[in-house]
Amino acid sequence: MNNNSAFAAIHPMVLLLYFIGEIVITMFSSDPVVLLCSFVGSVLLFAMLSSLKQFLSDLAFYLPMLVLIAVINPLFSHNGVTPLFFMNGNAVTLEAILYGFDISLMLISVVYWCKCFSIVMTTDKFLYLFGRAVPKLSLVLSMALRFIPLFRRKLKEFRAVQGAVGLYSQKGFVNKIASELKVFSALIGWALENSADTANSMKARGYGLKGRTHFSLFKFRVGDIIFLIFSAVFFVVTTAGIAVGLTDFYFYPRVAKLCFDSLKTAVYSAFFVLSVMPFVVQLREVVVWKYSVSKI
Amino acid sequence: MEILSVKNLSFTYPECTERALNNINLTVKEGEFVVLCGASGSGKTTLLRMFKKELVPHGDRSGEVLFKNTEVTEISDRQSAEKIGFVFQKPDQQIVTDKVWHELAFGLESLGYGSDYIRLRVGEMASYFGITSIFRNKTSQLSGGQKQLLNLASVMAMSPDVLILDEPTSQLDPIAAADFIATIKRLNTELGLTVILTEHRLQDVFPIADKVVVIEKGSIIGTGSPGTVCEKLINHKISVGFPSAVRIWQGSQLGGKCPLTVKEGREFINSTFQAKNVEISSTAICTKNAVELKEVFFRYEKTSDDIIKGLSLSVKQGEHFCILGGNGSGKTTTLKVISGILRNHRGKVLINNENVTKKSADKRGTALLPQNPDEIFLNSSVRDDYIQLLAVRGIKGTTAEQKIDEIIESLDIAHLMEKHPYDLSGGELQKTAMGKILLNEPKILLLDEPTKGLDAYAKQSLKDIIKQLKSTGVTIITVTHDVEFAAETADRCGLFFDGEVLSVSVPQKFFSMNNFYTTSASRIARERFKNAVTVEQVLNAMGVKNER
Repeated sequence: MNNNSAFAAIHPMVLLLYFIGEIVITMFSSDPVVLLCSFVGSVLLFAMLSSLKQFLSDLAFYLPMLVLIAVINPLFSHNGVTPLFFMNGNAVTLEAILYGFDISLMLISVVYWCKCFSIVMTTDKFLYLFGRAVPKLSLVLSMALRFIPLFRRKLKEFRAVQGAVGLYSQKGFVNKIASELKVFSALIGWALENSADTANSMKARGYGLKGRTHFSLFKFRVGDIIFLIFSAVFFVVTTAGIAVGLTDFYFYPRVAKLCFDSLKTAVYSAFFVLSVMPFVVQLREVVVWKYSVSKI
Repeated sequence: MEILSVKNLSFTYPECTERALNNINLTVKEGEFVVLCGASGSGKTTLLRMFKKELVPHGDRSGEVLFKNTEVTEISDRQSAEKIGFVFQKPDQQIVTDKVWHELAFGLESLGYGSDYIRLRVGEMASYFGITSIFRNKTSQLSGGQKQLLNLASVMAMSPDVLILDEPTSQLDPIAAADFIATIKRLNTELGLTVILTEHRLQDVFPIADKVVVIEKGSIIGTGSPGTVCEKLINHKISVGFPSAVRIWQGSQLGGKCPLTVKEGREFINSTFQAKNVEISSTAICTKNAVELKEVFFRYEKTSDDIIKGLSLSVKQGEHFCILGGNGSGKTTTLKVISGILRNHRGKVLINNENVTKKSADKRGTALLPQNPDEIFLNSSVRDDYIQLLAVRGIKGTTAEQKIDEIIESLDIAHLMEKHPYDLSGGELQKTAMGKILLNEPKILLLDEPTKGLDAYAKQSLKDIIKQLKSTGVTIITVTHDVEFAAETADRCGLFFDGEVLSVSVPQKFFSMNNFYTTSASRIARERFKNAVTVEQVLNAMGVKNER
């Protein structure tokens, strides 16, 4: 439903790179500010891509989940120096709870990014990306996607017709299975028979000639390049900051202090911008649309 | 200029003694529209395949087939793919990919064109063929007519010099078929494209063809303009498939110029005959209801719209009832509801005055012949299938053999029994499928588009079977697009529209009342012989004794 949105319209290659970068940074960070940025970005984007109902019902599931994961951690980890209370003789520490929160924030951000990814990356985009690497494989996939609905419909027809003729009228489990097998084997026969026609049609249109090209409807546009450059810059800044240890963060034995010196702030803001970029792209479209519609 | 020429071509399939093609000589000029006609198995398809290098069948061949003065098998693969376009019979099986745009691009990808060029051609094709609205759709969601149009467009994307079509409209309903033929005509007149076409439904193609070639048993028996061929083959048995205007003219034996279209046919009749009242003959119909539907409603899903809306219908015992109507109107659904494959959610279905609404499909005493008869068969020979069906019902040994023999005799299918169902022609497949469902001894037979893909002979034999079954007291309900078939075989007809069956009456009344949804014979003769709706009735009204 949201396949026409501004973010989904970005070139699949750019989208793929963006998601990989965003998810990798999220997965390998423990800095709560970084994770919070990622969480906010992913949830905002999902809110834009899904319906309100879907969004709320998901939120109602994942927020309790976030708390649940956070409280499970202290049951297994008793590190840390600030015991809050004792349970069965084991200390439940503040550090363990905070670390639990941190981990669950990371997990749920990744889940949200993946949800967005699956909405935006439709099969034809996937096929296109595969097709560049392995053209044969992408044609096979495309043919399979064409064949499956055909096969399903025919199976349904076969069963209805055979049911009416009386194939399934014998009682008993073994007979039922035998009848199903019969129908299925006939269906395989049908598929093979018809694949000969498909093969002829492919041959007639020159399949097998040397130098086959791979056509797709996707085009690299200026907007895609701008998006790519921006995300590359922010990605490089963030990873550079992570590489030199600016976002190292420790929970044990004592929670490290959050500090916002100029260097750290630069890294944080770079990652924040990177995370909310898709949301901004979407939001911009909504605003522009509203504005132009109200003018009409 | 000649674009294709065939010289002394003979061809024999491996392990066959009879020649599939026998000393064929044929030339096709650039820009010509050629129609090949003949019964199934006459060698039409074999001849078409000789023009396309990739599809030339294996076997023993002599003579020449030249494309622009080069032997077809010697032109380069690339040229053959690009310059000779081929559209096949089945709309579904020749589609390769899952998206419409990808299908359009498939041939151009094979030829190795760059993205920008392909984008241009694909866009051009989509616009010319009017498929821009489905450009990004999945191919599985298209209707049969749209699929066949897509197949044509994806062949035309390679801009061939010759377009060859093998019964392209046989699986389509009449409206989609007429659209398809009109598109081909447009390609022929606007682009000067050479077209070679085989067809069963000659009504639409005869008037627009430049040349007609009639093939019988592998030999050409007539060639020339449609008019001359019709004048030459008077009362030849092939002419049962000719357009109604031609058959009326041939039957009248008055000579003169042969009319091809409804318009010309009407002029012919109006100028030669005086108006005459034709009596509506009605056969006595049994008063006992065989099938009765009372206020039946059906929908596929809880939230979807009703397909059948308060349908009430009664079909009498031993009659042949035809339900006509447009595509997707719910005709087939009605048949499935009667047979029990689908269950209605409101209303009652009565069979022989017994309420069967809750009975399953195999216990209703009905038999359904599906639109695609191949779904009837599960085994590798027709006989095995028959034996298996009887075995399921607990009939074995000599009783089973006896039953099978009875069916073989009544349908005359002895020569087909050991064959694989997929090796049979459309008409043969249907006959054997009919045989299988008749083994259940149904009292009510339901036929779904029985004339789809049949040639004129197979149709004739279907008519004979229906007559024979009726004489044994079987009630037949047919849903069909084929108005000619309904007019010739039905006892009563009804029009399915908006979830109901309307204006039920005897065919003569039904068709003479309709102005558009009627037979060509009725359109030709309605000003002179009002109630004559079949070719036979028109000829009778003219006072010609018709010996068929």
